[in-house]
Amino acid sequence: MYFVALRMLLGDRLKYGGLLFGITFTSFLVTFAAAYFGGMMTRSFALIAENSRTDVWVMDPAVSAVEPNFNLPDSALNRVRSVAGVQSAMPLLLATTDARLPNGRFQSFEIIGVDDATLTGLPPLKGGLTPAGLRTPDAVIVDAGGTEGKLETPIRKADQWPYGNQPHLNVPTRPLAGGDEMLVNDNRVRVAGVAEALPRFPPRPLLFTTYSTAQRILPTERRRLTFVLATVVPGINPREVATRIEAVTGLHARASEDFKTDTVNWMIQNSEDVGDAITMLTIAMLVGFGVTGVMMFMFTHENLKFYAVLNAMGATSRMILSMIFAQAGLCAVVGTGLGLGLCAMAGECFDATDFPYRMMWFAPVVGGIAVVLISMVAAGFSIWPILKMRPASFLAGR
Amino acid sequence: MPNPIEPAKAAEVIRCAGVIKTYGEGNAAVQALRGVDLAIRPGELLMLEGPSGCGKTTLISILAGLLERDGGDCRVLGHDYQQMSAQEITRFRARNIGFVFQAFNLIPALTAAENAAVPLFINGVKRRPAIERAGEVLREMGFDNRMMHSLPAGLSGGQQQRVAIARALVHNPRLIVCDEPTSALDKGSGHLIMELMRRFALGKDRVLIVVTHDSRIFEFADRIARMEDGHIIGIDEPSRAPNGTTSKS
Repeated sequence: MYFVALRMLLGDRLKYGGLLFGITFTSFLVTFAAAYFGGMMTRSFALIAENSRTDVWVMDPAVSAVEPNFNLPDSALNRVRSVAGVQSAMPLLLATTDARLPNGRFQSFEIIGVDDATLTGLPPLKGGLTPAGLRTPDAVIVDAGGTEGKLETPIRKADQWPYGNQPHLNVPTRPLAGGDEMLVNDNRVRVAGVAEALPRFPPRPLLFTTYSTAQRILPTERRRLTFVLATVVPGINPREVATRIEAVTGLHARASEDFKTDTVNWMIQNSEDVGDAITMLTIAMLVGFGVTGVMMFMFTHENLKFYAVLNAMGATSRMILSMIFAQAGLCAVVGTGLGLGLCAMAGECFDATDFPYRMMWFAPVVGGIAVVLISMVAAGFSIWPILKMRPASFLAGR
Repeated sequence: MPNPIEPAKAAEVIRCAGVIKTYGEGNAAVQALRGVDLAIRPGELLMLEGPSGCGKTTLISILAGLLERDGGDCRVLGHDYQQMSAQEITRFRARNIGFVFQAFNLIPALTAAENAAVPLFINGVKRRPAIERAGEVLREMGFDNRMMHSLPAGLSGGQQQRVAIARALVHNPRLIVCDEPTSALDKGSGHLIMELMRRFALGKDRVLIVVTHDSRIFEFADRIARMEDGHIIGIDEPSRAPNGTTSKS
């Protein structure tokens, strides 16, 4: 009887199209929202992903995510190095500052101060440049960090400092490149290169430099050490070392993967953009319920006569109900496929842009669950007239 | 298990005694059947005739297990529906009863052969053998391959009714119930349909009950039961039908 059910459905192209539209829309939008959420979350722990050689992150006990953070005393570095199982430990500085560009415009940057000796945590550089350039005095490496049009410097010499009393703001500009200069806290810094770092969430320009340079150019604070990045002795479980570090130093320590999870959880609980994704999801579900539910109900209602005829001919209620669920199931499968396909195409389009979009494993799962829910509810709406129908009233063609 | 029945009447396919059916309750109650007695033997084509509202459709609905009677006794093929569960009644219909509806009620998205095969699908026969069997039945009724693969919209009224008859026969039911099978057809097509039904549908173990207003087809009946106000007021053979129709017997 599934054959009969599916033929009835496919024979009514208008209703079938309407059902597919509703389910495809829902599948697409829900999966899109989940992929957008995945993109945001991936960017939230971009700093952790860029420090792939780090096994354990050590931080102030009050810190539970990459952001917000609170600095540690300088002694924390040696204290972590003294813990058994720690192979090496490097400092990492995070701070926010304003840099003034040659035409007088200022731009906020996130400063990332990496270990002077190893330069661990630097992203790859554009143009194949080596990070060794960072060891020259006052050298910095810049990255857009997911923004657009923020790293611009004036093209003409005349628009650069000394520019007189008024900054030259509305002048032709070009992207920052090696050799350009900026002022950070009245300290001149020179751009050694442009990085290809992972975009951040929220997006902001990045300025990579050595730990010592960062300490020097930033305003004086008693504490500047934000994280201690530890690698463990091969063969030892990082989680075990993290526990040991906490016990010995009293600081908060997390294995990298756990720290990523912590960061994502913090973003889910505190970020307003998550609410945008949930709103998108809710709208998708409402449209899906509305369109699919109405279409399915109309389809079943218009075919009630035939279901009554089938019942009269000996099809049980269970048989007829399974026909309806088969119809909803077909629409669910095809609609989900179309929706996921559209999402994949969207992903290809966004690949060339900085839009936060990452189809992680849970995105199609969430989309699939949403479609199953909607299909079940739509089929459920349709069942009611079936349960109420009286085949005898159709016998005389009424 | 069917209830015990008297050996003398063991051959009857249908036996009803004092069947009552009431719609509604209290002051709004309408008694559609007021004590119907009826016995139908195998191999018989019985027509139920009477004015609108006399209870014809109610009676055949009860005989087909689509409605519950409110009183009296009724056994169909030795079974009393009131001793059976709803699911057992539905399965009984699937195996033993065929229907020909006034408005054909063919499923628009299925071809003629697929429509005719529906009772076999319901009884769990696989698609291909079911359609082949339905095709054989349609071929006997004069359908060619093109017509068998046509959708109902591509068939004439007479052709659609033939598909409906094939659908009613394909699973070899013992009781076939036809509700106004010729009302949507012209005289020629109606006669053709009745001839087909007598030729293919009637068998020594099968009963045909035809509800009709159409006096043009009375000649095809073995007996005509006249109903009025929920009673069967007379059962005649066609030659003695009150409207003077000539019998073919």
